[in-house]
Amino acid sequence: MIESLARHYKLERLLARVLDQGTWLASGIICAGWLLAAAGWRSVSLINSGIALFLLLPVLRVVIMLVMFVRERDYRFGIIAAVVLSIIVLGALLGARIA
Amino acid sequence: MDIGFSAWLFLIAVGTSALGGALGMASGIFIVPVLVTFGGVGLRTAVAASIVSVIACSCGSAAAFLRAGLTNIRVAIVLETATTLGALTGVFLAGFLPPWFLFVLFALILLLSARQMLARRHDPAGVMTPEEVGSSDWATVLGLHSSYPDGALGRDVPYRVHRVPLGLGLMYGAGLVSALLGIGSGVLKIPAMDTALRLPIKVSSATSNFMIGVTAAASGVAYFALGEINPDVAGPVAVGSVIGALLGARFLMAVSGDRLRLFFVAVLIALAVQMLLEAFGIHLGGHAS
Repeated sequence: MIESLARHYKLERLLARVLDQGTWLASGIICAGWLLAAAGWRSVSLINSGIALFLLLPVLRVVIMLVMFVRERDYRFGIIAAVVLSIIVLGALLGARIA
Repeated sequence: MDIGFSAWLFLIAVGTSALGGALGMASGIFIVPVLVTFGGVGLRTAVAASIVSVIACSCGSAAAFLRAGLTNIRVAIVLETATTLGALTGVFLAGFLPPWFLFVLFALILLLSARQMLARRHDPAGVMTPEEVGSSDWATVLGLHSSYPDGALGRDVPYRVHRVPLGLGLMYGAGLVSALLGIGSGVLKIPAMDTALRLPIKVSSATSNFMIGVTAAASGVAYFALGEINPDVAGPVAVGSVIGALLGARFLMAVSGDRLRLFFVAVLIALAVQMLLEAFGIHLGGHAS
């Protein structure tokens, strides 16, 4: 029988919390940027940080998975997570180079 | 920054995301056509803004699926190697493709979504027969088989994962289309999971949603580095989508599924026609900016 082989209860709960709170934090930062703009302050950098946080949330999620897999001595999945992470970093580097 | 235009973007995002959320769809597929046709936003800017909202929706709803124990995170990370690679291909290919091609592709994806919405999904047969698969296949080697809690049965239901290489191929395509059009591409991910991997519906919906965030982040980070994300457009659209998705989840309980489904099919077909018109250089609607 297969006994819930692919379940990682602790990791799943941790990821849920990070994604949940990160979403509200990023939304809050963007809203704060608007409030400042409404008050007459130009705050594009604050809105940009909120957007950057949204972009980084899934990346952080892959980093957490990588750390947890390695800690559980699941090196094969550690490598798979590292591959996903490298592809994302490669995209950022290529983009910055072209821009 | 024009406050009126920001408010309009915010409301459009709340509306489309609430409707999308009510049927378990990401809102990206509506946001790009609406921004281009009625907002006068350029296709590249609309796609980049939509990618941010796709991430926001995925992160916002992933938590609930994770807590319900429906997401297979091992399957997700394996398939994400293919979706992120597809996404990178898409970002750097997008600059070389003529806009008309992207509009035609968008119309095709909208029609495919309409078809998928009309067809009922069934749990693939043979989900619970562990004995029939050899032990040398990819899914067994990688330890992808799992179980999920079924509320109706009140117990954990075990399932096996099939044909991982085929799934990887299809996911590369889904990542590519996601980056080109600024959509979550659930419309391509879910059939890949149903027919190639043969996951139970609830698991495939949850896992697809989980993967959409990382796929969109791969293209989003690249678009950000390229300087193509306009904060005045992406900000209101992202926050509006998060709020809309929350409302949509409530809405889901209150409205009859079949009527909503038909309404959606009509909207999808109308947007497909609009995208085809754009492809031939015919603009409908006013251009707000």
